[in-house]
Amino acid sequence: MNRIEHHPILSAKKNLTLVNFSFDGEEISGYEGEPVASALISEGRHVFSYHFRDGFPQGLFCANGQCSQCTMLIDGIPKKSCVTPLAKGMDVRTIHGLPRLPSQDSPLVQAERRSIRTDILIIGAGPAGLAAAAELGSMGFQVLVADDKPQAGGKLILQTHKFFGSEADCYAGTRGIDIANILQEEALQYPSVTILTNAPVVGIYKDRKAGIYLNYESYLLVEFTALVVAAGAREKALHFPGWDLPGVIAAGAFQTLVNRDLVKAYMKILIIGSGNVGLIAAYHALQADIEVAGIFEAAGRVNGYQVHADKIRRLGIPIHLNTTITRAEGCQKVQRAYVAAVDERFQPIPGTTRDYEVDSVLIAVGLAPCNEFLEQARRYGIMAVAAGDASEIAEASSAIYGGKTAAANLALMLGLGKKGAIDPGWEKTRKVLASRPGDCYERSPIVPGKEWRPVFFCSEEIPCNPCATVCPLRSIELRSMQGNIMDLPYFAGDRCTGCGACVAICPGLAITLVRRVADDKAQVVLPWEFNVDSGLEEDMELVDQKGEVLERVPIISKRKVQKRNTWLLTFEVDVAHAARIAGVRHLKTQQVPRPQKDTIEFKNIPSIISVEKSSLEDLDTVVCRCERITLREIVDFIKKNDVKDANQLKSLRVGMGACGGKTCSQLIAKAFIIAGVNPAEIEPFTQRPLFMEVPMGSLVNEGLHKLGGKDAGTRGAP
Amino acid sequence: MKNYDVVIIGAGSVGLPLSWQLAEKGLKVALLDEEASWGRGQNRAAIGGIRATHSDPAKIRICLESIRLFSSMQEKYGLDMEWREGGYLYIAFDEATKQQFCALLKKQKAAGLDIEWVGPETIYRLAPGLRTDDLIGGTYSPQDGYASPLMAASAFHYLALAAGVSFFFNTKVKAIHREGERISSIEAGGESFSADIFVNAAGAKAADIAKIAGFDLPVFPDCHEAGVTEPVERFMEPMIVDVRSDAESGNYYFYQAATGQIVFCITPRPQIWGRDKDSTSTFLPLVVRRMLELYPRLRNLRVRRTWRGMYPMTPDGLPIIGYPDMAVNFLQLVGMCGQGFMMGPGLGSIISRSIAASGCHERPEGFTDYGFLFDELSINRSFDHAELLS
Repeated sequence: MNRIEHHPILSAKKNLTLVNFSFDGEEISGYEGEPVASALISEGRHVFSYHFRDGFPQGLFCANGQCSQCTMLIDGIPKKSCVTPLAKGMDVRTIHGLPRLPSQDSPLVQAERRSIRTDILIIGAGPAGLAAAAELGSMGFQVLVADDKPQAGGKLILQTHKFFGSEADCYAGTRGIDIANILQEEALQYPSVTILTNAPVVGIYKDRKAGIYLNYESYLLVEFTALVVAAGAREKALHFPGWDLPGVIAAGAFQTLVNRDLVKAYMKILIIGSGNVGLIAAYHALQADIEVAGIFEAAGRVNGYQVHADKIRRLGIPIHLNTTITRAEGCQKVQRAYVAAVDERFQPIPGTTRDYEVDSVLIAVGLAPCNEFLEQARRYGIMAVAAGDASEIAEASSAIYGGKTAAANLALMLGLGKKGAIDPGWEKTRKVLASRPGDCYERSPIVPGKEWRPVFFCSEEIPCNPCATVCPLRSIELRSMQGNIMDLPYFAGDRCTGCGACVAICPGLAITLVRRVADDKAQVVLPWEFNVDSGLEEDMELVDQKGEVLERVPIISKRKVQKRNTWLLTFEVDVAHAARIAGVRHLKTQQVPRPQKDTIEFKNIPSIISVEKSSLEDLDTVVCRCERITLREIVDFIKKNDVKDANQLKSLRVGMGACGGKTCSQLIAKAFIIAGVNPAEIEPFTQRPLFMEVPMGSLVNEGLHKLGGKDAGTRGAP
Repeated sequence: MKNYDVVIIGAGSVGLPLSWQLAEKGLKVALLDEEASWGRGQNRAAIGGIRATHSDPAKIRICLESIRLFSSMQEKYGLDMEWREGGYLYIAFDEATKQQFCALLKKQKAAGLDIEWVGPETIYRLAPGLRTDDLIGGTYSPQDGYASPLMAASAFHYLALAAGVSFFFNTKVKAIHREGERISSIEAGGESFSADIFVNAAGAKAADIAKIAGFDLPVFPDCHEAGVTEPVERFMEPMIVDVRSDAESGNYYFYQAATGQIVFCITPRPQIWGRDKDSTSTFLPLVVRRMLELYPRLRNLRVRRTWRGMYPMTPDGLPIIGYPDMAVNFLQLVGMCGQGFMMGPGLGSIISRSIAASGCHERPEGFTDYGFLFDELSINRSFDHAELLS
């Protein structure tokens, strides 16, 4: 089994029970209760079905219960393997073509309608939903939070890195996984707040009710007065030849496998997109002992925070700009990926192709708000607000404030809120926390003195200040340019005890400590978030901000700041460049002779793929994954029928598949452009319930008689 | 002013096939619709059933013509509409219903329909797993079937485009001008359209169009909800219609589409009059309970999506076909009562022949075969007999 045994941040899961189950008749094992898909991937099984249209292999793609690509026959019934908990003795089978409906012909045992009532339904228990729940709970509202995942916290539970922002506002310096617990506790301190997990909302109806597919087993109708949509975001797709192969997955799916389920899903990955999600995914991969071939960005600059990018580069992972993926290929799953430089129109430049042997390609090209329920509710005349990514894509820290503000606004709309309940500071804070990176500043060179002092490798304005608040001597201040936490920190006092609090808390790992210990020697203290149990007696490569190796020396001492779960490593180095040393290269990448630059040294390799084939507009590539409809089919249909309405593509079954157009709706604009239609003129897809497929037996709660009529809404739901 | 031989209002189930068949016969046709593209009224809400199994001979004749068209589209034009000759099965659970069905059988056969009474064993063979405990049998019409309304609309749109029909989308009718007993022109979308014949094929909005022209049509939309499941390997053939009703609902029906999904629909009780097409929470638990009581095997099938559509109803459940006395060149093809999809192509075939033969005369020379349609389905009829297989 490919499991992550020694994760530097995540502790091994307790009380895991290894159980046997059958996969296509072969006995294998996995942990009880983990998703079937995760168990299979840890066993190196990546193909879950062969598509009914063309027999193409299908595997895990979103790991989020959304796309349905992971559907398998589980105990004879087609189910999404990414949300089906593994049980002992399960019979799991690959689906070939259309699944056969099992002949369970015994009469219907019972049909029951279950419904509860609440004042406010919150969809999503991520940072925005939990913050909104706490706020509304504090005002005395009955609040029901429904989340589709097994635990509350949204994407926070995948975030092993420390938070940006400020300590006062949003737990900066604390890891996302821990913030999830804090927010949940804050919400649950109010007795009128109930959180339902494993409870996807599958429909919002005109009669002000929502349908919840509770525990992926039964159907609960929730009558509510008002709605908070905090459903987060879904990952945007990127269409290229081979993107439909198993092994090409969304970056969030990778994080789910690695950080939630502790599955060492792949050996070597390649990441498309340099936003924070892509950058962090690379970091997560290294923490999980998975190799990263590189991050590839079509734009001319890194999209995420510079400190993230620097951190990745220092660890030896190259970030290639003006470059994109042109193809993934392999037998049954990804074995190789091709990249090429792009011109200013983002088209691959012939002769610049380069290939990598990888077993996974991560798509991290941005997020799109999950706001269908908001639009639907508004159309139905239901009082509704959105918060977090469902409202605006930004950091989780800003989502917390979005949640608070949305909740207070909703209370006012309901005429029940306290006047002045909205703290005018919240919206300001939310906006600052949601800020895109600002300007970059050059810092002056530092000459180490006899006393410790911090050195900042934080030169881009981002909303972050925990170093300033954690310093016991208040020796770190923000340079007053914008007058908020976007400002850069600097060493203001002359006193530093070398306690390392700032080094350990910095989410960007962009602070070091230096002091001169001899005429030509200095000590430097560096943060380290990997295991320190082996290999440290050898020389380690110390690098500058961008990853150039400056020195190879052994550690002279190490200590762990438990509160931050971060190691501080001390080295003795040449005083001349001590203040330029920003980090340690990752052990795995130390063999590489020198860090790769941000541009590929392009070879005119005899390419096995023609220029036409490497085009991103390869017409034979599937756009609609559910129904396997190619770009060519869509373009032809648009031309032939003079189409200006995306809904007409449903004649081709585009958008009619299991995902309901969630994946392809962002991709079809390209088809219209190729067909010569201005995408601005296009009438978009109409969204309808259900949001997620629900078996008929569950819709009438047939299975509930087995549970002894246990009531679904436990608290706050009369 | 734009001049045409025929201007049709409504690019839906009725207007699309009519426009194509008129243009094929050499007429200059314009098709107007207020929506952004074709088939966006009730066509896309139709579940796809196509039957000639009706109680009214006129409807039987129209739908036999439709089936002739649907079943030949692939072979003749290479256009896939996912037509499948799966048959229709009306099931009976009591003697009274059996008597009623059997009495209809004679009428239906006389009108040319292939239909027989079948016992529970045959029904079980056609739909394995269906509960046959109380079932006494049903009528089976093997030449009925189903097709994809979306694909059919796109196919008819394509044929119409190729035949030279001019389409005007996002074009809402603002005014209809009359000169004496004739319509002279229509103003829509900032343009004026003149024609020898105008056609009201506006489906659920037919009465609104008539109102603009200055007369009333007894067409009142009511709402029905429908749903579709994931696709599975074929396990049943016919459209199954259960005509029983209970406290919450009337009949319901479902079939397995050519591509494997189960598509289903139910008649709510009381009927939901009006145009609110937003889904309600009551539909799924209701229809699913009734389907599972009859067919428990469906319990593991996942429902993918639901929607709501309108049936443009008339007082007697039969369509209105004809030229009103106050607007003698304004053909009404309205009040399809939820069957526009199955009647549209057949109507288009019959009506286009009638128009091509001699314009807006209801009984042109050499058109005696179908002339009776205009009598039976006349706008001037009394509306006092009721369609039994609505």
